[in-house]
Amino acid sequence: MSESQSILKLYGTDRSTCCQRVKVVAYEKELDLSLEAVDMMGKEHKQDAYLAKQPFGQIPYLDDNGFTLFQSRAICRYIAMKYPNQGTKLLPDASDIKAVSIFEQAINIEQADFDPNASGLTMQKLFLPMRGGKTDEEQLKKHVDGLRMKLDGFERILSKQKYLSGDEISLADLFALPYGTKVEICYPDFFHDSSRPNVRRWWDAISNRQSWKRVLVEAE
Amino acid sequence: MFGVIHKIHGAKLSPATQTVMVVAYEKDLNVDLIMCNFAAAEHKSAAWLEVHPFGQVPYLEEDDFKLYESRAISRYLATKYADQGTKLLPDPADLKAMALVDQFISVEMSNFFPSARGITREAIFAPRLGGKTDPVALEKYQSDLKAKLDGFERILAKQNYLGGKEIGLADLYCLALGTRTESAFPDIFNDPAKPNVARWWNAISTRPSWKRVLEETK
Repeated sequence: MSESQSILKLYGTDRSTCCQRVKVVAYEKELDLSLEAVDMMGKEHKQDAYLAKQPFGQIPYLDDNGFTLFQSRAICRYIAMKYPNQGTKLLPDASDIKAVSIFEQAINIEQADFDPNASGLTMQKLFLPMRGGKTDEEQLKKHVDGLRMKLDGFERILSKQKYLSGDEISLADLFALPYGTKVEICYPDFFHDSSRPNVRRWWDAISNRQSWKRVLVEAE
Repeated sequence: MFGVIHKIHGAKLSPATQTVMVVAYEKDLNVDLIMCNFAAAEHKSAAWLEVHPFGQVPYLEEDDFKLYESRAISRYLATKYADQGTKLLPDPADLKAMALVDQFISVEMSNFFPSARGITREAIFAPRLGGKTDPVALEKYQSDLKAKLDGFERILAKQNYLGGKEIGLADLYCLALGTRTESAFPDIFNDPAKPNVARWWNAISTRPSWKRVLEETK
């Protein structure tokens, strides 16, 4: 841990996809996180004390020396902004307005064009059955087909550049890891379709990073 | 107003296009809306896909610079024109203030947009495009949104807007789908159990910039 780092407390669990998103970014930035367990089974996240910190009753939220922040992608951006000079460079230079806007475009691509189908697919195929519910096959097919179509868009982007915002990795690529990994668990060759060689190259590059491997080990 | 005209390739009926327009007007910018020819599937043409790999609207054209994703375009305009019109972003050096902006933009994207878009699709787009409303899906989206609005009520009990004391980008991002949602469910933002949501919705939906967008995209 770097001398100047305050203790970053992340309230959540090691297995939650949104907590994993924060963890992978923290590890890329060579930061230590103190994971403060939230008792999901005991509905701690729905109690008033929790709702005062995270008004939607979701995990995670961050406490940085009394400054609390929720929404995993916002937490990730905050820690990347706060520690620009250590670990992997994950943000563009603030003075380069065009690079910043292309980065914002990539951030939106992940949240608008990847996350909805990837998380929807995961809910139907993995989470619902795990919780004793039933897969809605029609919804599942919608998400599978939808994600494939979106990956055609990713292929167009990644045929011209290595990562979503350019030739360097950024937060946008890392944000796709938690649900992308779940998709791969459900459909092992999803990102290895021969019609999308650049998606394959990109997915293999980001999913093999040490930071992500560490997050997965901690979730076991 | 500046003389520069900002070219937005989009469509009048597109919520994302309206989002960019309302932000542009808050920033006192001139907009030239260039209509995408949906009937001819222009947005799926090879030329369009070169610019917008997902075949959607809108995109911004500034000389040879093109940008898509309505929130990225909006943020770009708010950043570039920070010194005119409504202040929509804090000083970028203020990390905590910027983090809160990102938090509430993410709130809009994950806790408002999905159910508001679902309502819009089922209640408005499906019938208009010759399809059918799925009443079960519509009911689910409505109850999802109501539950999320409990979270909005908690937030807005402590601050005037998602942007804090003053309106911000996250508030403006709620307008396009929020307006359509309200047309399907007129009381959804006027629940007596959520007085702060009602106050907030009334404040943002009556802004002159939004009224102008609605007038121009009729």
